[in-house]
Amino acid sequence: MGLVRREQQPAEAKAAPSVETLLRQLDDPDPDCRREAALGLDGVAEAVPHLLARVGPETASTVRDALLTTLAAHDTTEVAEALAIHLASDEADLRTSVAEALSTMPGSVPAIIPRLIDDPDHDVRVMTAMVLADLAHPGSLTWLADMIRQDPHPNVVTAAVDALLPSLGPEHTELLRDAVRRFPDDPFLRFTVEAAVG
Amino acid sequence: MTSSTTAGLSAVDFEKFREFFYKRTGIQFTESKRYFVDKRIETCIKQAGFPGFNAWFSALRLSDRSGLLQDLINQLTVNETYFLREDYQFDSLLKTVLPDVLAARGGAGRMTGPVKILSLPCSTGEEPYSIALRLLEEWDQIDHVDVEIHGADIDSAVLDKAAHASYGERSLQRVPMSWRAKYFAPVGAGRYQLDAGIRGAVTLHQINVCDTTSMRAFRDFDVIFCRNVLIYFDELSSRRAAENLYGAMRPGGYLFLGHSESMSRISPIFTPSRLPEGIVYQRPSGGPR
Ligand SMILES: C[S@@+](CC[C@H](N)C(=O)[O-])C[C@H]1O[C@@H](n2cnc3c(N)ncnc32)[C@H](O)[C@@H]1O
Repeated sequence: MGLVRREQQPAEAKAAPSVETLLRQLDDPDPDCRREAALGLDGVAEAVPHLLARVGPETASTVRDALLTTLAAHDTTEVAEALAIHLASDEADLRTSVAEALSTMPGSVPAIIPRLIDDPDHDVRVMTAMVLADLAHPGSLTWLADMIRQDPHPNVVTAAVDALLPSLGPEHTELLRDAVRRFPDDPFLRFTVEAAVG
Repeated sequence: MTSSTTAGLSAVDFEKFREFFYKRTGIQFTESKRYFVDKRIETCIKQAGFPGFNAWFSALRLSDRSGLLQDLINQLTVNETYFLREDYQFDSLLKTVLPDVLAARGGAGRMTGPVKILSLPCSTGEEPYSIALRLLEEWDQIDHVDVEIHGADIDSAVLDKAAHASYGERSLQRVPMSWRAKYFAPVGAGRYQLDAGIRGAVTLHQINVCDTTSMRAFRDFDVIFCRNVLIYFDELSSRRAAENLYGAMRPGGYLFLGHSESMSRISPIFTPSRLPEGIVYQRPSGGPR
């Protein structure tokens, strides 16, 4: 009893499974096994289509988060576009996880933002504001300001205001007040803006 | 500025270097760290005997000299640490976390296998050794259970220091005098070496927390301390580190982060739990969510 030392056994440093094995394990019934396969495929370009195909159907959120962690490291337009499709999902968890992943892809996501901002589905535009909240890109604040100024849907405007709050400057005061004037019947928007700019 | 001088890197060189280092370690240097990075790269170039950045950088990338990357990592990591740092978390460990771990695993008498604690990153060893000292001095169960303590870091130079375990005043400041007398021996030049028994009880490993393949070697930890490293990572690396830590933990296991770090912005896979001494994160115990 007390402190004991564990000698590191060579067997402990397990060799990495092959790509084929990992790809097979993506369909394993055990979620832990799927999760490890998804993480293990980090940096493997040929795995991208397989990973993308599983984001939607995956039922275990731990596995989905692992899929997204590995996918987000492939900061390419192909991945960004394929993920963005899920911003329209009916499943709130999926939408949110995908928005978080997209916000860590500053290399490719900016190219699809203009299209997302114009998406006919206002729920997609709400999610786009969430992406912009965390996207490290010089254009993020401008896009959010555009959404606040132009979007016809109050939920989108409120989401964009919310996303802008941490970076709020005096230059935004008029923009926010205007938004409240455009949607006088939206108490949540009014409340958010009043709390921010008085 | 040409890229072949050792006096400062061009913007293009810095960018190339930044990308490379990020991919290897998960650490993202912003422009504001430029000065810090430049100086250390210069040291590496000089020490390895290269005429300039380009020659050194190609050798580094083509890794025909594997020591180059390790030297660089050793130069560029921030290793500052000391005994009993943020020790309210060790209070949590003793008062709440370990009793819960024992209960969850069937009680002190009936557990199979030791309680496993990991300090990652451990830097020069103060963190895992602080845990060892507090357990030995203050935990009433230490004679009834086996405890395995592991320390791990990406930097091989700090691990050598951790293995040697001799420390100066700055690092020992918070260690009570009675503990110092009991567990440390003066080795000259104002330095004190930790008792061989404790040194020997902590197992040290070199590892990159962002590297999923090597992190597979870590399994079934009851408690992990991952303090003051995520602040150097960008979101994506933090996420990957979080996933790897999750994989290294037993369901229901506990994760401590540094006081300025929070999992809420990184990943939803852990459940935060608010203890009297602060927040600790738990790997959910009932299978995947
Ligand atoms: C400031 S120290 C923290 C030490 C101790 N945990 C504490 O809080 O005092 C940060 C350590 O993180 C290590 N480190 C940096 N990147 C790492 C990585 N990718 N994997 C493992 N360790 C890393 C550095 O080598 C350094 O020793």
